[in-house]
Amino acid sequence: MKKVFLIAIIGLFLGGCSLKEDVAELYLQEQPLHAEVVLPEIIKSEEQVPINVILTQDGKKVEEVDSVEFEMWKHDDALHATIEQPEKCEEGIYGINKTFDRDGLYYIKIHASKDGAIIMPQVQVVVGELSKSELEFLQNDVPEKEEGHDHHH
Amino acid sequence: MNGKLGDGIENDIVQEGDIYVDTVINTTTKSDAQQKSALYRAVWRWHFYAGIIVAPFLIILAVTGSIYLFKPQIEQVLYQDLFEVMPQGEKIPASQQIEEVKKLYPDAVITKYRPGENATRSSEVSLTVNDQSLTVFIDPYTGKSIGKLKSDDRVMDKIEEFHGELMIGTIGDRIVELAACWTIVLMVTGIYLWIPRKKLIMSGVLYMRWNKGRSILARDLHVVPAFWITAGMLFLVMTGLPWSGFWGTQFQTIATNSGAGYPPSVWVGNAPVSTVTKEIAEVPWAAETLDVPVSEVQGFIPLSIDDVVQIANREGVHPSYTVFLPKEPTGVYTLSAFPPKAEDEITMHIDQFSGAVLTDYRFDHYGFIGQVVALGITLHKGTQFGLINQLASLLICLGIILVAVSGFYLWLKRKPKKSMGAPKSTSIKNMKLFLVVLIGLGILFPLVGLSLIVIILMDVLLIKRIPFLKRFLHV
Repeated sequence: MKKVFLIAIIGLFLGGCSLKEDVAELYLQEQPLHAEVVLPEIIKSEEQVPINVILTQDGKKVEEVDSVEFEMWKHDDALHATIEQPEKCEEGIYGINKTFDRDGLYYIKIHASKDGAIIMPQVQVVVGELSKSELEFLQNDVPEKEEGHDHHH
Repeated sequence: MNGKLGDGIENDIVQEGDIYVDTVINTTTKSDAQQKSALYRAVWRWHFYAGIIVAPFLIILAVTGSIYLFKPQIEQVLYQDLFEVMPQGEKIPASQQIEEVKKLYPDAVITKYRPGENATRSSEVSLTVNDQSLTVFIDPYTGKSIGKLKSDDRVMDKIEEFHGELMIGTIGDRIVELAACWTIVLMVTGIYLWIPRKKLIMSGVLYMRWNKGRSILARDLHVVPAFWITAGMLFLVMTGLPWSGFWGTQFQTIATNSGAGYPPSVWVGNAPVSTVTKEIAEVPWAAETLDVPVSEVQGFIPLSIDDVVQIANREGVHPSYTVFLPKEPTGVYTLSAFPPKAEDEITMHIDQFSGAVLTDYRFDHYGFIGQVVALGITLHKGTQFGLINQLASLLICLGIILVAVSGFYLWLKRKPKKSMGAPKSTSIKNMKLFLVVLIGLGILFPLVGLSLIVIILMDVLLIKRIPFLKRFLHV
């Protein structure tokens, strides 16, 4: 009797301790959009460059997005952001040809949606040479390394 | 013997010995009666020792629980100056509020942001600085700090810590869990002792006998309220256990694995990860020149907190949510709200680079067990039905205190100077059914099982071999 009891308890201690790896599949799953941005390695001002985004969902290229837009602004001039409508190059790939007038640090924010899955990734782009203030800005904007977050409840 | 119910206890209180056997029931055969009384005594003996050990913890749990029940009201009074703001115009973006906090604490790491659930509620920015965590309260209309609160100074958190782990961490958590599990043993044995042995008379069973003398009054003050609060007490134990460290974690893991529990990351399990990691923009570190290739500086940068707030509004997240900021490049923004009503709960993970909603777990998406547990928790905390809920739970807590104290008093009354005054132990043969129940509980609640093993070992190795202990414990 005692032995059975012991084995049962040890079994409980050892078994059932960890979560199955694919356990999330048992619950509601989202189908997030995924964006990959393709840029030339070097971008110069007053030169036309292609900016493309590859949109995938569940590992497959998105056939037809509901909407896609490129919002662009220069680092020190966020107020004058422009919105451009990219063209579909091929399945899941959308792009524009863009000419930047001046050197500097730019941002492109891609707004895309498909069946209620919405994304807004933001890309940092360097055109020509960076000014001193832009360099300083980059260096001050160190992403925080965080620790010690206690969870809810 | 006055022919009333539950006489076994009464008599043994008044006079020690085996009176019960002599006076019991002439209609059954002697050996039958003897066996029954032996079982009765065995159950009573377990109830006696378990009660003495568990009672102090039950009192602690009931007292701290009674206070914690009223956390919303108490904090509203304590922190009114920090919580309330005068609405005026538009709220300032979250990013600017956080900037303000960064100015106040340049070395701090920001961990959480809570926008505030309505127009008159301040927003909160939590941070850690010098290994201390604190919350800065911001007036969202002016963007200025209106005060701070160190996590160590939150009184209600202390009460919760006392309630959940006696303020001594994991060991305390296990002790509380053990006490809670043994409370179930107390309830099972208590009900057995409570069941009327003779005719169906309700006095001393369902209602009190106020004028039959002090002994009877003391006995009734234990037995009658205990019966009335048993259901509530069982409810509090069963709804509290799922968040205990040992049994609770095991239970939650099994439930989540089965698909019927909480989805992963709500209670057990990790959050998903942000997927973009290769294409993240790197930060140059040397001054004057760009010391890393341009292609490294080009890439995704994390979403701003303002975008996260916008996503929360778009997705209809309950306004009492808190944003947990990502700690590392693969981390996610976690939006989490556990408001008073379980139906409003949400845990949402957002990719910190793309802003994609990676998971959106609300009450409706929990499995059946998860929903039951979630409801159990809000009922246990007294928030689900507001004041009525709080008062009902308070009544159960007060009942628990009364039963623990009266039980203790019953013991003091019968305790001789030189021993514990426990009912005499009986041979294991007389308590087969009871043993099965105990072992069953021991398997269902491994900590009970573990403590049973310890008790058996102590009995065999120590108590049976030391005459003083044998006498003292009435073995």
